[in-house]
Amino acid sequence: MRLELRGITKRFGTFTANHRIDLTVEPGQIHCLLGENGAGKSTLMNVIFGLLQPDEGDVLIDGVATRFANSGEAVRRGIGMVHQHFMLVPVFTVAENVVLGFEPTKSFDRLDRQRAREEIRTVSREFNLEVDPDAIVEELPVGLQQRVEILKALSHDAELLILDEPTAVLTPQEIDALMTIMRSLAASGKSILFITHKLKEVRAIADVITVIRQGEVVGTAQASDSEAELASMMVGRDVNLTVDKAVVTPGDEVLVVTDLVVRDDRGLPAVNGVSLSVRAGEILALAGVQGNGQTELVEAIAGMRPVESGTITLRGTDITNHSPRQVLDAGIGHVPEDRQLHGLVLSMSVADNLVLNTPRRAPFARRGSRNLAAVNENAEQLVKRFDIRTTSTRALVSSLSGGNQQKVIVARELSRPLNLFVASQPTRGLDVGSIEYVHRQIVNQRDEGMGVLIVSSELDEVLALGDRIAVIHGGRISGVVAPSTSRETIGLLMTGAHVESTDA
Amino acid sequence: MSLDTTPGATTVAAPKAPTGRTRGIGIIMLVIGLFTALVFGVGSGFSAHSALTFNPVSLTNAPWRLGTLTLLTAWTNVVLGLVMIGLGLGVAVRLPRRGVMARFGFVAVLFFFALLFWAARTTGPSQINFVNLTAVLIGSSALAMVLIFGSLSGVMCERAGVVNIAIEGQFIGGAFVGSMVASTTHDFIVAALVGALVGGVLGLILAFLSLRYLSDQIIVGVVLVTMLGSLSSYLNLQVFTPFPQYNTGNLAPNLPIPLLSKIPVLGPVFFNQTGFFYVMIVLVALVSFGLFKTRWGLRVRAVGEHPQAAASVGIKVIGVRYANVIMGGAIAGVGGVAFMASQGQFQPGYTSGLGYIALAALIFGRWRPSGAVVASVIFGMSVYLADNLQTYQVPVPTEILGMFPYVITIAVVSGLIGRVRPPAADGLPYRRD
Repeated sequence: MRLELRGITKRFGTFTANHRIDLTVEPGQIHCLLGENGAGKSTLMNVIFGLLQPDEGDVLIDGVATRFANSGEAVRRGIGMVHQHFMLVPVFTVAENVVLGFEPTKSFDRLDRQRAREEIRTVSREFNLEVDPDAIVEELPVGLQQRVEILKALSHDAELLILDEPTAVLTPQEIDALMTIMRSLAASGKSILFITHKLKEVRAIADVITVIRQGEVVGTAQASDSEAELASMMVGRDVNLTVDKAVVTPGDEVLVVTDLVVRDDRGLPAVNGVSLSVRAGEILALAGVQGNGQTELVEAIAGMRPVESGTITLRGTDITNHSPRQVLDAGIGHVPEDRQLHGLVLSMSVADNLVLNTPRRAPFARRGSRNLAAVNENAEQLVKRFDIRTTSTRALVSSLSGGNQQKVIVARELSRPLNLFVASQPTRGLDVGSIEYVHRQIVNQRDEGMGVLIVSSELDEVLALGDRIAVIHGGRISGVVAPSTSRETIGLLMTGAHVESTDA
Repeated sequence: MSLDTTPGATTVAAPKAPTGRTRGIGIIMLVIGLFTALVFGVGSGFSAHSALTFNPVSLTNAPWRLGTLTLLTAWTNVVLGLVMIGLGLGVAVRLPRRGVMARFGFVAVLFFFALLFWAARTTGPSQINFVNLTAVLIGSSALAMVLIFGSLSGVMCERAGVVNIAIEGQFIGGAFVGSMVASTTHDFIVAALVGALVGGVLGLILAFLSLRYLSDQIIVGVVLVTMLGSLSSYLNLQVFTPFPQYNTGNLAPNLPIPLLSKIPVLGPVFFNQTGFFYVMIVLVALVSFGLFKTRWGLRVRAVGEHPQAAASVGIKVIGVRYANVIMGGAIAGVGGVAFMASQGQFQPGYTSGLGYIALAALIFGRWRPSGAVVASVIFGMSVYLADNLQTYQVPVPTEILGMFPYVITIAVVSGLIGRVRPPAADGLPYRRD
């Protein structure tokens, strides 16, 4: 299928998400759409897929201008989408998910499960994508769930596949497998539109690259272009992709976690006997595919989740099962994974959010009443020092962009003396510029002798920041390695494989 | 550095039912069994006996007569207790994956009968020394029927992702209108249809407020129940009190099924019922078949589990939800008429929380029609016994038994026994964006 976009413009109120976007995907081509978070990639996809209607411009399929009232029509016309958050019903079988909306039936509206299975087997064989049609989706690993999404699109005779940030939840090995699938699909004549902000992947697979920034196409690029060239196109200026770190000799152990067991919301053990330590002047980066216990581990350290067994000590003091307030008072700064849920009170001002962790303390409060002058002065200083872009310190924090919201949290947590700084996914959803900034702040803290624990599912970030890298899988540490370790080895550790003599 | 790739290493562990909870149910069954054997068995003394009779009160359809079975109370209850202990041990030790709730339900029913035998023992305070099995089953079946209508209504709504807490209100509306229509037309089919209409309109209001205006479904539901309760009291005073002819003589006739109704005990309980009972049976089969075997059901369940996924393949989420909430409301409306027809007339407040018990049965039955039936039978029986135990002068307040459905529901919902998992999008507003 040949897909052509001509002058697509989409506005939300006064905000223009897409401005006169032109793009052509040829049959059998892997076309990468590269852009930062918030550049307008998702909006454009939703326009193509019929979830949004463009304000101006045309979507042409094989030369014919088309408009889809809903995504069902897009699917019927041969457009398949693999969503970043899978559109799969977890409790259904693979077969039920694949045929949903296009079910084969017998008399009395009965589902023809036999035919559904056969259809899946046929498509599976044709494209070499093996999946058991009777498996329950939620019991499959993420990589296979994504394969089900692809199968679903193919079984609806998709000629154009849109893959929206498909690698975010995959291990490096699963990413390789996905790339192989994409190449073979393209070879069989399918068109592929691959959306991402990861430069490595783009260079590995793209036939054509279109870069968009702030809702506009800024140009096309070649897979042979360097990462630095792609990044500067994406961001609009030169970007330093590496993090400069001086060599620092780490000091004493600040945080020691021993045999920790923590349960998740369903009551199942998510952290299953984790032991690790963070020394002063060292960044320990915890790598792993999302959902392997990182969230629960950090919440346990921050006092937000009860510890089942095991101990957490901070500079020799036991802080196991302490309350969040006690943990704060012990000198732990915490940048939570979900900044809007746990990091900020969205309906409060920037100034108030900047003192959320110390509201009762002098100078911000005295004898039970707040000292607003001190709060505002603190806010003015931090906004300047951390370059937080806001109209005023009194503005609601919800009015800030994602990157600036994250800066508010980082500023708050680093604005007082700490023993340990814990940051979960510190740069998720940030633009490259903000990432650079947050990374520099983290490295500065380490250089000043603080212990730092970083949790990230971005391997690039882990490799760039970590002095040591601990890999977590299935609630256990599967290895602790040096940052010089190959990506492949770390990838294997992320799948739970054992690597011998991993002392770093 | 050598690498050892574990085969089949996966990134996500499959969720498994915690075995501890299944074991908990087994232990609770065991404790109930022990209690039965010791208190109702040994505690009633070995000289006492209770009589079990089988002949229905109305003998018109019973060409058979069965004699009275005289039981030694103590030994009977010890045996019942041992059976319950055996079932409990089986669950606690073998941790079966299926049928745990059904076994628990069976133990609950055995417990009720042991309680009855104990209450009717010759050495007890009661003048009545017999238990009429057929009468107990018939009385319980009338309540179970109403609960099944209610919980089926809940299944319809919640499987599509809308919590219908207004079942009680739909019962009240159906009962009120049903009585009025039945009194004037003397036709229960018309009454049932009008009851369905009223229930459906109440469902439409719930759907409209929660789907169009994204109001909190629980609050809308409670508002509807409160409104119907007050409105029906007011209209009762204004209409039925001055014109009692519009609210009288509405006992639905039994429609015996030829031959089958003549079977001893089972005949009167299952085959000599009102038309509502048979409609209920057909509805259970229809909803069960529809939800789990048809394309319609697959789509409804997809909408209740993951509306975005359903929408992404062109299923109209809001439309499915409207249809199901209206159909669910209609089913509950018929349930209200059925309840009225089993009582003969409308009385303000006489549904006394049956709609909420139906909701409890829905949860206990794990959002499945079959499970809802099992739960409704147990809960119907406990409500019936709570209403009728006074006659045996049991030295325990009957309200304790009346609490049974709620205690069980709290235990289930809190995860104390069993694992319940509602449809993932149940009660959540859906926005098309």
